[in-house]
Order: sequence, then structure tokens, then C-alpha cells
Amino acid sequence: MNLADRLEKILYKVKNPVRYIGNEWNMVKKDWAEDKIKVALAFPDLYEIGMSHLGLKLLYHLLNEEEDIICERTYAPWVDMENLMREEGIPLFSLENKKAISDFDIFGFTLQYEMSYTNITNMLDLAGLPLYSKDRDESYPLVVGGGSIVYNPEPIAAFFDLFFIGEAEEGIVSLVKKYRELKDKKLNKEEILLELSQIPGVYVPSLYDVVYDNKGRFKGIKPKYKGVKEEIRRQVVSNLDQAYYPTKIIMPYMDVVHDRAVIEIARGCTRGCRFCAAGISYRPVRERSKETIIRLADEILQNTGYDEISLTSLSTMDYSDVADLVKTMARRYEDDKISISLPSLRVDRFSVNLAREVQRVRKTGLTFAPEAGTQRLRDVINKGVQEVDLFDAVQAAFEEGWSTIKLYFMIGLPTETMDDIAGIVDLAKRVLRIGEEVRRNTTRPMKKIQVNVSVSTFVPKAFTPFQWVGMDSREEIEKKQKFLKENLTERGLSFSWNNPDLSLLEGVFSRGDRRLARVIESAWRKGARFDGWGEFFDIDIWEAAFIENQLEQSDYIQARDLEEDLPWDHINVGVSKKFLQKEYKTALAGKLTEDCRQVGCTGCAICFDLDVKMELYRGDANVN
Amino acid sequence: MVMRMLIRAEFEKTDELRYISHLELMTFFRRAFRRAKLPLVYSKGFNPHILFSMAQPLKVGMTGWKEYFDLTLSQEMDIGEFIDRTNRELPSGIRINKAASIPEKSQALMATINTAAYIFRMTFRNDQEAEEELLNSFLAREEILVRRERVKKGDIEIDIRPMIQQAVILEPGKWLFQVDSSSERNLRPEEISKALVDFHSDLEFIPLNRIVREGLYVRVGDELYSPLDEKIVGR
Repeated sequence: MNLADRLEKILYKVKNPVRYIGNEWNMVKKDWAEDKIKVALAFPDLYEIGMSHLGLKLLYHLLNEEEDIICERTYAPWVDMENLMREEGIPLFSLENKKAISDFDIFGFTLQYEMSYTNITNMLDLAGLPLYSKDRDESYPLVVGGGSIVYNPEPIAAFFDLFFIGEAEEGIVSLVKKYRELKDKKLNKEEILLELSQIPGVYVPSLYDVVYDNKGRFKGIKPKYKGVKEEIRRQVVSNLDQAYYPTKIIMPYMDVVHDRAVIEIARGCTRGCRFCAAGISYRPVRERSKETIIRLADEILQNTGYDEISLTSLSTMDYSDVADLVKTMARRYEDDKISISLPSLRVDRFSVNLAREVQRVRKTGLTFAPEAGTQRLRDVINKGVQEVDLFDAVQAAFEEGWSTIKLYFMIGLPTETMDDIAGIVDLAKRVLRIGEEVRRNTTRPMKKIQVNVSVSTFVPKAFTPFQWVGMDSREEIEKKQKFLKENLTERGLSFSWNNPDLSLLEGVFSRGDRRLARVIESAWRKGARFDGWGEFFDIDIWEAAFIENQLEQSDYIQARDLEEDLPWDHINVGVSKKFLQKEYKTALAGKLTEDCRQVGCTGCAICFDLDVKMELYRGDANVN
Repeated sequence: MVMRMLIRAEFEKTDELRYISHLELMTFFRRAFRRAKLPLVYSKGFNPHILFSMAQPLKVGMTGWKEYFDLTLSQEMDIGEFIDRTNRELPSGIRINKAASIPEKSQALMATINTAAYIFRMTFRNDQEAEEELLNSFLAREEILVRRERVKKGDIEIDIRPMIQQAVILEPGKWLFQVDSSSERNLRPEEISKALVDFHSDLEFIPLNRIVREGLYVRVGDELYSPLDEKIVGR
């Protein structure tokens, strides 16, 4: 019986079988021919999360543009499906041709967040692959990891044959083809990996040793052999305007998280928030031209029939002449009843007014992210938001008729004291007051004002100025959360927070090293899955896994010395360690670093290191 | 004033597409209509939506051979062209097989349809006669009590016998049930399954993926009509 028929026997028993059927509009299903290179693209989370992810779709269509490549998708099955698959002996399969993953040449994972690591081991196992790279010879698919968030791949390095560091448009196709060529030459796995390691951006963990000094302290990750590159440089697209962008984009049937047309109008962010990994790892800022954006939008809307289009980037409102762009688009699609959505609003009046003007689908609430409760701490993290900007923005939002405002903050930031926590309460209350005032003075009907305060725990990430910062202990986190719980009780205020254990574990992995692979394996064997989903996260499993492997979570969470070697030092994201050190010191001094878009180069070195430059559309910086 | 046109279409939902839900299907249709560049009519208001409605939802996992929707267009369009253009935007598994222009004031599908026919693919096969005997003794009972599951309101016991209009063995292993299906009186196919299990030890529960909704009908007296039938919609 083929896989599709065997699936038929179980699909009606699972929740949301639509996750596993494929056959979506614009899906690319090619004839399963022997001579093609087969790539299975995996997203280590549920279908609906993976299908909301732009990067995966981009990669999927990019690879399928190639005549000789078949690229298919697979996602982490939910627990009910996993159980049935194991009972029936159904291996992890691709959605397009319903082929076992072991029939593919390459098994590539998009890595987006640390808490999906046990889903990776689970998917490898469901595919019938040994977990560790060293236990797989050339008869197994090559297991590849990529994705722009995880630049510290060390905790999962042992599971992967190689990582591609950087933006996929740059080099992924040639990597895939090169692999097939080497395989056809009947080289063994070691030979193949050695060859592939020569490609820019390719990191083969097995070709590197972890070096310790005579006191057992970590001293870096060094090539095992001569000729293997010492540092792996992130690959970056230059000229985003000309870069590939899919417009015949696959559309889920399922109501997924982001179910609309998406245009990436720019990549990168120069605001320089010191906690933000994406802000560093997507540099430099590159914008698409208005003409290109409109051409892409026309095509996507025609090919999908979506009635909403989202203009996405890390900071959409920073796009050069964003007002002209969104107004032009709003006019252009008015007759077709297509609405424009702006995913990330800056904290200012301008953003609110623009959103009001073009967003036809009125969301019930607006979200702003002041991130910290006091000006002092906002300066430490380089979030260039003044109190007056926030009050201005919420005033505008309330006046425009929004009655619900969500405020996003972090706790556990460096130098934070209880005064800063009290500052969160104070800000939230003042926002509520502004709303109530507007509501009292308006003649039109307005719902009761609601201010939702969402507070997450700061997790230091590799390649940020805060990569040396120690995390709060669980007790400290709980103390701060308790304070907020007790003080955000007024009517019209609500408070939500994260599980501290989950944040701490994320902190372990974000700055973790190779030894953690054993911990991940142990936790997975004990049943850990979907750790990012509250309903499955079980800290007891993880604590047992750490004990079993004689490792301490606290060793990973503690502060690092500015001069010590870090497990991700051999990866070069383009921003220099010197710059990060300088930023760290500037932060502790409570000083701001301005946006290089406005004030000129601030010395992060990206443009020199990766030989790229800022690409602004009709901006003042170095336009082509 | 431009003449509007109300189209009633009959489509099938089969294969993998059985697993998409009613709401997902509606969203999918709306997008397909937009891709097909049909002259759509939108509701008034701040958040306009396409004037489009569907008949009784088909359960996830079940095949439907004759399913229906109504769509309003802002101008006259050739029916053949409507079918072709729309089908080009539909994946394998969903296909429009028939359509007709109906008067704009026609009664909505949900209000018109009152009968559904289901074909059960049984898990056993016998000869025709033995199966007929089994079925007849099932139907011969005065009442057939089944537990009806109700979200929020709590389960109740109902008698499904009056809602079964007719049942026949099409061929060994294939049983057809013609039942009430309207907003007032609706017999769910899984309730038939449950009743069959309770009735005889030879009969196993038939999961939804072994049931086909053969069609939706308008029953007038003892006659069954398609919702597209001239007698139903007039011309």
C-alpha cells in the first residue's frame, strides 16, 4: 500500500487533517523522476505556523524554479498524528508527492526559534534517520539547517550535517546542485562534506573541534583540518530590489496565523535596539523600490485572490517615503476591495494616522512596544522612544476610534531595578487615563477603554550587544511578575506574562554550546515536544535531562565576560564583536546610539565585512 | 441600473479536499472567484464581503457529489463561461459540474434544501438479500434512539426513525440513506452509524471518510428535486 492510501486510514481520526493533505493552491507538485534532485523542506512546528512563514515559502518557490530540483514540504505532526503515524508505521512524509523523507537527497530545516529543538529530533526520528550526523552515512539524506534567526547553531550542531549561514537567495541553489554532483561521483560522506564546506556560508560542524584550555575553559571552535575556513561568513543579498521574490505563492486552506498576501518591502533595521537579534542579523537595511513593490503586489494578488496585503519588514514605518507607498497602494486596490495592513507600528502619531487611513479591516486593537517602563531603561536598550511619543501615539489611536491598546514590555533587562518595573505600571495607567479622557469628550459611541499589558522576559541572544548579560533568576522574574500582577489590577487594565521556566530554557539554548545536544535528546526521549506551546512544556522533563547529562542551566544563563571566547565566535554575521562590546558599554552608561540611516555610520562594520551597503529607495544614504 | 445575476452552482468535493472544513472552503471559493476575475458584488459597509452563500455544511472527511452555492454577479455572464473560468481556479478535488441562472429573489439554499442522501460504504459485504433483510429489520423498528451530541447544551436522546425517509441497498456493501436535512430537522450521518452499531453486532461504526453525501435535495411531497430544478427556482 502506498503512503497516500495508508494516510487515508488515519487522517479522519486526527484533529485538523487539513494540516497533512497538501494540494494547496499554487503548490508545486512535480513528477517524481529519478534524475531530479529532491529537497524536503521542513519547518519544525505545526503546519499553520510554518505556512505563515515567509522565508520558507520563498525558499520553496526559489528551489522549485529550478527545472532539475523537486522541493517538497513537511511540518511537525501534532501529537495525535504522531501517535497514529508511529502505530501504523508511517514515516514522516512530504505533502506534495507523499514520499517518505528518507527518499529525498536533502532534508532541510528552517530554524526560527530555540523552543522547536525537540521537534527537530522528533522529525529526524519520524523520518527514520539516526539523530546524530556522525551516525548517518551518505545513504541518508543530507540534513541541512538554515534560517536567519538562529545564528548560534551549536546546541543542535551534532544533529546537522551542515548549516547554511545567511540569506537563502544567495547560494542555496548552487549548494543543492553541488551536493548532487558530489553524490553522483560516489564520494563518501566525509569527502562530500569537506567539499561543501568550501562554499561560502556553509558551516559543517563535524569539521571543527571545540577547544578547551588546560583549565577546561572554552577557547573557541577551530577547524580540524587545514583548508577548512576558520570563520563562516553570513551570506547576504545585495540589491534586494532585483532579488527573487515569489508571486505565485502557495496558499493554505487552513486559517493560518498570517493568511494574506505579503510583500517584504525592506530587509534589515538600523534602529539598533540592543536586545534585538533580528536588528543585527538582518543588516544592512535594503529596500525594494516602490515600482518593484507594486509590480510584485499586482502579481501576488492576481495569483492568490487575497483581499489583504501586508507590507512587511522589521520596521515597516521606516521605509523611505512609506506614506507615499501605502497611499498609492491603497488607491490602486480600492476598487478591488483590497486592504493594506501595516504589521509593525512605530510608537508615534504618524504611524497611527497612516494606519487609520489605509487599514480597512479594522483590527480591534493596536499594539505599541515601548519595551521598558522608564526613559532611563529605554535609553539603556537603545529603544529610541520618548514618553511623549507614546502618549501622542495612543492619543491619536483613541481619537481615531481604537479602544483597545496593547503595550509590550520586557522584564529582566540589564541594569533594571524595581523602579523600572513600577514604570511599566505607571505608563499603562497613564495610557488608560488618556483613553478615558478621549472617551469622555467624544460624541461618538466608543467601547470601554482597555489597555492590555504584555510582559515577556528578556532573553539575551547571540550577536547582540546584550550577549554577555546574565539573565534574571527564576526568583527575580517571579518577583517582578508578582509586582505587576498586584499593581495592574485596575478595571481596564490586563496583564499577561510568560512562563519563567520557558524563558530561562530559551536563554540556555540561545547562548548554548555543543554539549546541549545530549540534553535535547534526553528531553525528547522523555517526551518533550512542542515546547514553545504552553500546553506541552514540562520543566520537570528538562530538569531531569540536564541532571542526566551533568549540566547546569545556571552555567548558561549567567553573565559572560566581555573578553571570553563565545561558542558562536566562529560565525561572522557581519557586525563586529568590537562594535557589540562598545554598544554594551554604551548601554551600561545609559547612552543612546543613533540610527545610521540618519547620522551616518556608527561603526557596526557590516558594510565592510560583508561587502554590502545600505540600499535606500530615494533615501539620503548610498543609493545605487 | 445594471442587471445583477444570481448563479446557483452544483459542485463536487472529493479526494484530499474532503478534509477542508466548511469555513475554509468558503474562504477558498471567495479567493478563487477573485482570481477568476468574476464581476463580484460586495456587501455595503466598512468591511465589504462577496455576496456568496453555501448550502448545508459537509462534514470534514466526507465526500460530496452534489453540493451547492449561490453567487451574485454584477452583470450577466454566460453560464458555460462562468463554469470554465471558475474551474480553472479550483484544485483537483473541487469541481463545478452544473450551474444555472436563477431569479434574484430565490429562496436561499439553506432554506430550500430539506433532504440529503448519504451512501455508506460498509465494512462488510454480504449478498444483496441478506443485507436487505438486515436493513429492513433496522427500519422496521418503531423508534431508533440515538444520543445526539450538543455543544454547550448537553447531549440528548433522540428518535431518528422519523427522519429517515428511505433506505436502500445500492449494491452489496453500499447502503443509501435518504434523510431529513434542514435547519429544523437534520439527521447527522454519524447518528445513523451509531444506530447501526447498536442494532447489530455485524455492523461496525462507519467513519465519515467512508460516507458520501450523494446529494442535497428539495423534497416536495414524495418527489425529490435538485435545488437547480426549474420547478424549484422557476425561471
